[in-house]
Amino acid sequence: MKKSMAAAFALLAGCVSGGMKHAELKSSMQALKSEEGRIYFYRTGSIFGVAVQADIYLNGAVVGASQPGGFFYVERPAGKYEAHASTEVSRMVTFTLDPGETKYIRSYVSMGILVGHVNLELVNADEAEKQLESLSYTGPSPVPPAAAAKSADAAPAAQAQ
Amino acid sequence: MGHARKLVYGLALTLGLGCAAELSRAPVAFTPITGEPRTLRVKETVSVTPSTGYTRNIRAGSAWRLVGSLPQGEVYRPVGEVFTVEGANVHEAYLVVAQGSVVGFYLPGEAAFAPLPGAVPLPTEQGAP
Repeated sequence: MKKSMAAAFALLAGCVSGGMKHAELKSSMQALKSEEGRIYFYRTGSIFGVAVQADIYLNGAVVGASQPGGFFYVERPAGKYEAHASTEVSRMVTFTLDPGETKYIRSYVSMGILVGHVNLELVNADEAEKQLESLSYTGPSPVPPAAAAKSADAAPAAQAQ
Repeated sequence: MGHARKLVYGLALTLGLGCAAELSRAPVAFTPITGEPRTLRVKETVSVTPSTGYTRNIRAGSAWRLVGSLPQGEVYRPVGEVFTVEGANVHEAYLVVAQGSVVGFYLPGEAAFAPLPGAVPLPTEQGAP
């Protein structure tokens, strides 16, 4: 009994629970710059694969980690992006970001041969906003101002409007 | 079935699932729309299956805004939603429509065209969402 309780506790310990909730954070977020958009990365608190946590790359640079029950966001210039997680199998998501647009990328764990894979998928805003409510912020502390998140790793904007 | 054979089949299945086909696509020149954008609303759900075999539904009631064109057809972007096609990777995708049928996808993150194996008729009505 004690062993199983300890195992359950160890699993749950992998979930993020103490960080700021999305609603609290949203009120303190700065407005986007006119040429930038925002990209959320999040993972729901599913117990499956809780021990599998991986760095998330955006256009080749690490921007955070996939942690169960956690979310973070980055602000980037409008343009073309690719995101992937650093697990055994790397599955990429390609998308564009428009000025003022918010994109949502959910990570989830699927079964692998040796360890689970962290996969990414684009999610509709309605669904993502609901799921974000219960998640905790895992980004840098304090909350990064829009200016700090800007980087030059985005390709020039060349997309449909 | 022997234990070893089961193990081999299991591994083969796992490997197979982990190695989805790459979406067939090629770079393309996209021409943004210059005139008044128009919107299509899909009347019936339509299933489309790219070369990777992953079927996607174009939902009844979904709205798509004309954003430009390719040599293969007009390009429509989903309104208020995100649409993706996938294989080994996941690609944000816009519909490419020619003569009332979906003929493929424009991948805006890669400026590429991914053709469908065959054109799929898309029942729509025009109008603002």
